[in-house]
Amino acid sequence: MAEGPVEQIRAKARELLSARQVECVIGYERASDGLTARPLFAYTPEETDRFILDNTCVHNLARYLLDRRTKPTAVVVKPCDSRTINLLVQEKQIQRDKVFAIGVSCPGVVEARWGESPEKPQPRCQTCPLELPVVYDHLITVPGERPSPGSGQRQPRTGFPEMERLQAMSAQERREFWQKQFKRCVRCYACRQVCPGCYCPICFVDQLDPTWVGIRIAPAENQVWHLIRAFHLAGRCIECGECQRVCPVGIPLMLLNDKLTAEVEGLFDFRPGLDPETLPPFATFKKEELEAER
Amino acid sequence: MSRFLSRQGLLSWLDGLIQQGAVVVAPTAVEGVSLYRPVPKAAEIDLDCPATVLSPKEWLFPMSHTLFTVERKDGALELKEGAFDGRAVLFGLHPCDALGVHLMDVPLLADPADGLYRERRERTALVGLACTQCRPECFCTSMGTSPADPTHLDVMLTPVEGGYLVASASDKGEALLASAAVEERDVAVPEPPNPQRLPTEDLPRLFRALFSHPYWGRVADRCLHCNICSYVCPTCYCFDIRDYARGNTAERVRSWESCQAAGFTRIAGGYDPRTNKGAKLRQRFAHKFLYFPEAFGGPLSCTGCGRCVRSCPVNIDIREIIAELNRLGVASVGSGEKQG
Amino acid sequence: MGVADGPRIVGFLCNWCSYAGADMAGTSRMSYPPNIRIIRVPCSGRVDPLLIVKSFQQGADGVLVAGCHPGDCHYTEGNYYARRRFALLRPLLDFAGIEQERLRLEWVSSTEGRKFSQVVTSFQEELERLGPRERRG
Repeated sequence: MAEGPVEQIRAKARELLSARQVECVIGYERASDGLTARPLFAYTPEETDRFILDNTCVHNLARYLLDRRTKPTAVVVKPCDSRTINLLVQEKQIQRDKVFAIGVSCPGVVEARWGESPEKPQPRCQTCPLELPVVYDHLITVPGERPSPGSGQRQPRTGFPEMERLQAMSAQERREFWQKQFKRCVRCYACRQVCPGCYCPICFVDQLDPTWVGIRIAPAENQVWHLIRAFHLAGRCIECGECQRVCPVGIPLMLLNDKLTAEVEGLFDFRPGLDPETLPPFATFKKEELEAER
Repeated sequence: MSRFLSRQGLLSWLDGLIQQGAVVVAPTAVEGVSLYRPVPKAAEIDLDCPATVLSPKEWLFPMSHTLFTVERKDGALELKEGAFDGRAVLFGLHPCDALGVHLMDVPLLADPADGLYRERRERTALVGLACTQCRPECFCTSMGTSPADPTHLDVMLTPVEGGYLVASASDKGEALLASAAVEERDVAVPEPPNPQRLPTEDLPRLFRALFSHPYWGRVADRCLHCNICSYVCPTCYCFDIRDYARGNTAERVRSWESCQAAGFTRIAGGYDPRTNKGAKLRQRFAHKFLYFPEAFGGPLSCTGCGRCVRSCPVNIDIREIIAELNRLGVASVGSGEKQG
Repeated sequence: MGVADGPRIVGFLCNWCSYAGADMAGTSRMSYPPNIRIIRVPCSGRVDPLLIVKSFQQGADGVLVAGCHPGDCHYTEGNYYARRRFALLRPLLDFAGIEQERLRLEWVSSTEGRKFSQVVTSFQEELERLGPRERRG
């Protein structure tokens, strides 16, 4: 095929919209800085000419499927994003037959900040074990060397170096580290809003009875917010890294998620979103287990 | 001849104010993130900071604030207000942020004034910093100010070689400068930069005409409805107030909120009249470009600082919205009618 | 709390086994430290991580969750889920600086009054060794 990935996306989107197979195709277009990308919702074949695909396409577009649950929608998904589809199908939040996944292979994305020339690769791409999306209805291969080349779908985990570095510090040092991070949090909830795993009609933090957290924006409350949100994603975080990207004050939220991802993998040999059938750890149990971890 | 303050002179002046007990709130790096914070010494100020992530509204209108506490003591109730009884200097305001303070004054000092805001506002001197460069997101000249505009400030500093040109813009400013080692120097006033200028004169009328346009839904498709735009904005002022009691103490807390937040419009019984994404997104811009000018006789509630443009995770760009409202307005007006 | 100095412990005890076990410790006059504030829940599986994190945020130095022995849960499975939840919550809190020793999951049956008093006593000693958590309520 002589056509590059961008042309293939546009062609596929045009085809799906013209045939009315979907009402909308969600992909990427150039952002207003001319450097980075942003989501594009195309409803007509003409609009598909705006689609792009490059290493600034960092957003997890599958999250938007939660806004379009009953509407046939096509969505461009990178390998990490594609795990969202399995997760949301398993948790009965979307219907698989309403989703057309345009899967793209991915050589890694960059730290994309508006107005800045995108250069630095995202560290999480360097430990990403996925070559291809785990679920797709149409596959587009993107050429390019991956930061850590793999040879198959399931790679042994190469670890989470940043998280492990923090874990190796003393409890006091870890406390101080997180105190500094939570002091900066403004409770914008961008982390929650962008996360495909956060879709509770009323989030615990907005509950009045009981008031778990309240409206005060202060380190103690912020800590409860972040620790519980991370816990609610235990065994569910598909590691898209969006929460950390969207944080306006640069809190390294993925450290919390990575800690739980490592624990879930170690204790239960489970990674969410790889298939829609395997039960997640909190949905089941074994009669004999985990006594040593008590 | 102009009044000149060397860089070192500036730092000494500010340190002097700190030693006299003033709270100096200035741009500083907090774990690498540029924010306005009270600084313990002038050396911690990032003098060359192009823009902070959050605006200086944090000082005058705190993100989370105890309005008062009530304590039950010896059978009686004791009320303590969350007052500020010191003196403060808000330093490093670019003209967009100075305009932002003024636009916050409009609703919060209108009769009856918000007492705590007024108290902080009266006790805070505003020291501005002219811009020597624009960032790609700047559009302050579209909102009635400009990179060297001293309006709304007490003191204006313009960066030049080795220091700053100094001008006082109020009696408060002149008094503040008394302790600064200002000298007379022959220094050329630098040419201020020229940010993009968008047509904003007709925005309220255009907005009303395009209120039901499907455009809002299209933009809102990618909106996450987080609170980032409202929180980084110098002029957004929605808040929530709750009472919290524990043991013998109760306190009333006011915190920022955003019209984009889930539950912002949820009412008793659980009904939410504004769940439509387009309507929700439109609300914020309607406040800025329609309701605020209608309610307060004129100014748009935007300073052109571009913080929302820079921080929005999905690149909802207020400049594109302004441009599109103008474009759609021209298209929809049609034949015969006077173009705005 | 009001009582003494020393670590403040919040205990979530399941109604059927551990609460009864604690009760037996009392009726048998087995002493254990008074710093524990006991909250009765129907099952250890009902203990929401929010309850635990909130306890720490409000000033607890240690949190004890006690339930029926695996296999004996009054609701058949609740404690199995509690065990899984706990196995993930503890390392997360430890990672955030709340030492793992501050959170305990124990199986105490309704006749194990002695065990209950031993658990609270040893927990108290451990927490004294660790020192108080920073109060940031």
